[in-house]
Amino acid sequence: MKELSDGELVVLARSGDRDAFSELVRRYQRPAYSVALSVAGNHQDAEDAAQEAFLTALQRLDDCRNPAKFGGWFLAIVRNRSRNLVRRESLRSGDPIPETAHTKEPSPAKAAQLSALRSRLEEALQTLTEVQRQIVLLHDLEGWKHDEIAERLGLPSGTVRSHLHFARKALRVELADWGDHE
Amino acid sequence: MGDGNRIEALKAIDPACADPGYWDRFRDAVLEQAAFQLARRRELARESVEAILSGWSKPLIPLAVAAALVAAFLAGAMASGDPNPATPPALALEDVLESEVGDGFYRAVIDGSDAAGATAFMTLVEATR
Repeated sequence: MKELSDGELVVLARSGDRDAFSELVRRYQRPAYSVALSVAGNHQDAEDAAQEAFLTALQRLDDCRNPAKFGGWFLAIVRNRSRNLVRRESLRSGDPIPETAHTKEPSPAKAAQLSALRSRLEEALQTLTEVQRQIVLLHDLEGWKHDEIAERLGLPSGTVRSHLHFARKALRVELADWGDHE
Repeated sequence: MGDGNRIEALKAIDPACADPGYWDRFRDAVLEQAAFQLARRRELARESVEAILSGWSKPLIPLAVAAALVAAFLAGAMASGDPNPATPPALALEDVLESEVGDGFYRAVIDGSDAAGATAFMTLVEATR
């Protein structure tokens, strides 16, 4: 499929176009996970919330009044789904993604190191506010620019820069001794 | 940990860091769960196209019938009124002489100065009777 805009993909997906919806999922699965992780705080809930958000978005696609701004509309759904999931842990739905034999697993030592780093990062991220976590993950992990984050989170660009500055400062403190740990 | 290292370390948050096929499976899982909703949307889209076409055809059908009736009526009227009659058949000489030319014509011819011509003409007329 040629490079279509979000708006064009939304219009096609409204008519049930599987390829269009698949492309929307491809574009937003990482940002959705980052935002969900910012809210839920752990991988499993973030994965569930992100998946549910895509299904909710598909069901409500006709409510997306400005398809060109799908990103902001969709990430708001991700945040809401994540918050609901945190509130209603017992109602968590959706099976975990099955592992496949084709997955290229890292070595056990590397996996252990990654797991330790991941836990440490998740702990460090929990010291930030929810919006700071979203911004730092979308910026540093997903590579979104300040203006993109501002538009999609519905925040002024200056606020995004400010949150990012304080989030980085806090993470720097929290992870100061990680190099020694390695 | 410096900013560069921290940003690099943040990649450990990405599930694909430890599991390269993670996002492909994530997408497959979403699409599998979305299959019913997508199929329903395709069905609704198809039905709405049919509804649009049928919405157009409903006023068009009686209109077409009315147009056909008007056309048939006009065709019938043209056939009976014969507004463009065909060229009438040419009259034979005898018909002209018997129906279109009155007695005055014969008299004029006979009374003319060309007596020989008049005699010949009368001879011809008498011969054809």
